[in-house]
Amino acid sequence: MNTGVAAARRTFARSGWVDALRHRPMALAVAGLALIVVCLVAGVAIGNVAIAPADTLAILAHRFLGWPVAVTWPQSAETIVLELRLPRVLLAMAVGAALSLAGTTFQGLLRNPLADPYVLGTASGAALGAAIAVLLPIQVALLGLGLLHLFAFVGALLAVAVVYRVSRLGALSSLTSVLLTGYAVGSLLAAGLVMTMYLSGNNLRQIFFYLLGSFSLASWTQLAVSLPIIVVGSLLIVSRARSLNALLLGEDTAAHLGINVHRDRLTLLGGATLVTAAAVAVSGLIGFVGLVVPHLVRLVVGPNARLVLPLSAIYGASFLALADMAARTPGELPVGVVTAILGAPFFLYLLRRYRNSYAL
Amino acid sequence: MVVPISFVRKGNAPMRKTGPSAPSDHGKGFSYASTLIGLALTLFLAFGCQAPARTPTLSAQPTPTPTLASTPAPTPTPTVAATPSPAALFPRTVVDDEGTTLEIDAPPTDIVSLTPANTEIVFALGAGDRLRGGTDFDDYPPEAVDLPDVATFTGVLIEKVVDIQPDLVLAGGNNFTPAGDIDRLRDLGIPVLVVYAASVDQVLDDINLIGAAIGADAEADEITSGMRQRIDEVTAALAGVDRPRVFYELGIEPEIFGPAPGSFVADMVSLAGGEPITTTDPAVFSISLERLVTEDPEVIILGDAAYGVCPQDLATRPGWVAMTAVRDGRVRPVDDIVVTRPAPRLAEGLAALALAIHPDTDIAPPVGVSTHCPSPD
Repeated sequence: MNTGVAAARRTFARSGWVDALRHRPMALAVAGLALIVVCLVAGVAIGNVAIAPADTLAILAHRFLGWPVAVTWPQSAETIVLELRLPRVLLAMAVGAALSLAGTTFQGLLRNPLADPYVLGTASGAALGAAIAVLLPIQVALLGLGLLHLFAFVGALLAVAVVYRVSRLGALSSLTSVLLTGYAVGSLLAAGLVMTMYLSGNNLRQIFFYLLGSFSLASWTQLAVSLPIIVVGSLLIVSRARSLNALLLGEDTAAHLGINVHRDRLTLLGGATLVTAAAVAVSGLIGFVGLVVPHLVRLVVGPNARLVLPLSAIYGASFLALADMAARTPGELPVGVVTAILGAPFFLYLLRRYRNSYAL
Repeated sequence: MVVPISFVRKGNAPMRKTGPSAPSDHGKGFSYASTLIGLALTLFLAFGCQAPARTPTLSAQPTPTPTLASTPAPTPTPTVAATPSPAALFPRTVVDDEGTTLEIDAPPTDIVSLTPANTEIVFALGAGDRLRGGTDFDDYPPEAVDLPDVATFTGVLIEKVVDIQPDLVLAGGNNFTPAGDIDRLRDLGIPVLVVYAASVDQVLDDINLIGAAIGADAEADEITSGMRQRIDEVTAALAGVDRPRVFYELGIEPEIFGPAPGSFVADMVSLAGGEPITTTDPAVFSISLERLVTEDPEVIILGDAAYGVCPQDLATRPGWVAMTAVRDGRVRPVDDIVVTRPAPRLAEGLAALALAIHPDTDIAPPVGVSTHCPSPD
């Protein structure tokens, strides 16, 4: 008896700060935006070449705010800050936001907590596309984007298009059908990927590192090409947040609530696929972010998609920027490894604490 | 009867990039549709004007006349009268192995090497003191180990290269240095010379190329003449010998890895007086045990000796006793790095390989080549 009460009290006391935040989504959003600014500055200041923080700030102020700062730093420092680190941090943020949004959407659409942005074959499609691009005996570099990025993007879109088309042929309920078709198509593409890798000889390394995910080649052009796609896809998703909420109750219920189930599901699916494809095209396959960030946000604010979507984007952005910072400072670790190492223990901790009060 | 040895690449010429890399500074505002159209156009152009493969050079005829003067191959070195001071050679233009033209205004003083072979070449040219960065697997000469590492297995640490502000970066072609990293460095205005040798002759060309790029033409000429002489000496010593079927083992885990047809290692084996047993396709690096047993090597060379494989191990491998080489004890270790690294020590590597295949010929023993394995005697 006593112990039960004590445990309950302890749980209450421990989760006090989260409960306080649960009812203040605006505070969470502001805190998230502040975190983004912190990540931006830290990400630009930290790297595997030491540049004095004062120099970093001076370079940024000089270049972007036009402050008349005396140039005391070497040209190389300016190149590192403006051409290497800044686009890299921003790209990591865009990809983090994209993957988190897509993860939230797929988890809601498929009503499956294990869904992530790659669940419908995006990953295998993109990877196979990239691998084929690597094997093609031509090398094209256009606007800083190689054939690899284009093929990965197209591969991801094609994979989901095929899954969607094929899943509508069967007689199973549409949810089960989409999931299973996604799994089947994904497996087929993965087999193609392994075959391609086996035949790739000298280029195996290139495919391998694409699969691990990295921002090491981030550039302004990559950002300029991927960001508009991510923004458009994100707007599509967020504009259907209410439908996503309704779909969580089941398709019939959603239809009774006046939602155009077919159209809105297609919009959500399209938006999520678009942002995922844009993300994997520039960064490779980065796991964990899209799976876990939405869950983390839901644990705090509950299942309402209208809150979970924007907050996932905000926290996903800073999470991936932080992970990338941790990945590149010691050298160049695969960022996907870092996201898992940083995120998994924290996620387990939250799951343990909230095992009784969680809904998708 | 001696089969003529050729350096001709057998149809697996690595694809060259089409011309210099794309210009870097594009406007940030463009529509995605135009990107797609542009890409389609570029694809078309790329297919239309693939760079021709390098002219095959047939130099090492097995005639036992080691004439020093017969330096063949279109060396990229501009002709230099006498030996003026290095600075007088500049500004000069060099063309790298991918066809990219580089204007070099003055002898480079801050050089970064992105492959161990390039590091070795620069040291051999007497310019080791101008190297500011290397790779984490530089192992020769010993002082190369201490260079700051700016390239690892995972790629180039671009920030570190930019921090060095090099006036010349020596990269590796055929994706030894990731193509994306090379483009990135060039976009940042750093001059990159891409070096890739697919045959022994091209190694000599590359040493001359790097020599020209850093203003060490005379040194390069001395090194390559020495190498040429040594290669001719080996070729002469091998004139008329029987050419056994040779399997050059590159690795054993998880599959048996051997040279692909037309690969550098296969060429080295031919040049060292062996008939190389290769995989089925230039893009395949593993060979099945069945195929190996069928091909029945008469000599097995352990390129993986540096990784702990030694001749006595082979008899215990299931099925390997079926091969003549294992039954007759003709399994010999070599120093894989010296035999396969496209660097100045390659001629010694060739001598070592020739001696491993033909221990009875009177080739002068190679200098500075160890085999890692205890001698069987």
